[in-house]
Amino acid sequence: MKQPVWDLPIRLFHWLLAALIAFSWWSVKNHHTDWHIWSGFAILTLLFFRLLWGLVGSSTARFSSFVRGPRAVRDYLHDSTNWRVAGHTPLGALSVVALLGAIAVQVGLGLVSTDEDGLNEGPLAQLVSLNVSETARDLHELFFNVVLGLIVLHAAAILYFRLVLGQKLVKPMITGRAALEPGVEPMRTGKWWVAVICLLAAFAVTRWIVAGAPPF
Amino acid sequence: MRNALLAATAAVALLAGCRQSADDQAANTAAPKSSQVLPITDDPAMVSARAPASKEEALKLMHDRHEGMEDIGDAFKVLGREMKASSPNLATVRSSAATIAGLAPKVSAWFPTGTGPDIGKTRAKPEIWRKPEDFAAKTRAFQAAAQKFDATAKAGDVTAIKAGFGELGKTCKACHDPYRAEKH
Repeated sequence: MKQPVWDLPIRLFHWLLAALIAFSWWSVKNHHTDWHIWSGFAILTLLFFRLLWGLVGSSTARFSSFVRGPRAVRDYLHDSTNWRVAGHTPLGALSVVALLGAIAVQVGLGLVSTDEDGLNEGPLAQLVSLNVSETARDLHELFFNVVLGLIVLHAAAILYFRLVLGQKLVKPMITGRAALEPGVEPMRTGKWWVAVICLLAAFAVTRWIVAGAPPF
Repeated sequence: MRNALLAATAAVALLAGCRQSADDQAANTAAPKSSQVLPITDDPAMVSARAPASKEEALKLMHDRHEGMEDIGDAFKVLGREMKASSPNLATVRSSAATIAGLAPKVSAWFPTGTGPDIGKTRAKPEIWRKPEDFAAKTRAFQAAAQKFDATAKAGDVTAIKAGFGELGKTCKACHDPYRAEKH
């Protein structure tokens, strides 16, 4: 019997984020800086949504349900059968937090960057000096390697679960359902209208930032 | 009307500059001197000036080219900042526009054969010397836009300045996209 593990907002968030990161990379490599910037705005919207949904969303989306301290991570590594909750494991949670954090840093750098020809700049570049803007651009380029490294680690972990532990993780992220062992607590689904409110709020904050974060 | 006049003046000034380097080249290639006022379009000679005689000379030119391009870029960034402001500082805009217009004619002499990545560290792609006509045409488009923008900046109409900045930026991008390698 398959049970719900990931809700629709989380699945959409995940795959859209993956697609947008790929698109951001492709567009900037092919000199479509304007598309690259818009892709960044879309990622920023997703990040705000994820942050809010992590507070008020379904149980497996909530940070409080999966972000654990070092002791829980150690215990999980010692005996993984002790973890009886559907969703991210304490170790996986580290990966989620690292990925979200790194992507947030990357978007933040992009927001204050100016390109080397002065043709394009992020909406918040005006808030910092030209020197800071140029440094931010260089860091934005360098830091992508960190994001990429975490993505590779993420994919490698999924491969490890598939090949070594015999557990399929990709399919549940598509269908939202997985066979849970007896005694494992399934997902408590959040309310759809809460998701809509989170999305609207994320749009609003992003719009404000895109406008250069004007004072109220 | 006034803009058209300014553009025409700028174009004439630019062409005068082009004629000089073209004349330089004519001595080398023994091309027939034409009495035309307009330069021959797609004349690669204008861009791929005289090849440097030694490696030292080539490296010196590549260094000057890098510095010059960086100066143009810096002026552009300053301009970009002003363009975002509701009322740009005209003095800043004019001095940056003048810097770009002053450096633009030099671009013609910056890419002679023998100054590519096989000689020294440069982001100039070998394609520049494989498609000299296209490169020359794009260089001229930039030079014309730079002079036009300088004139627009002097005239001081903010709407025209902002539009001109966009046009000038496109001519930078037109060359940088195909002919400049990524940062290493």
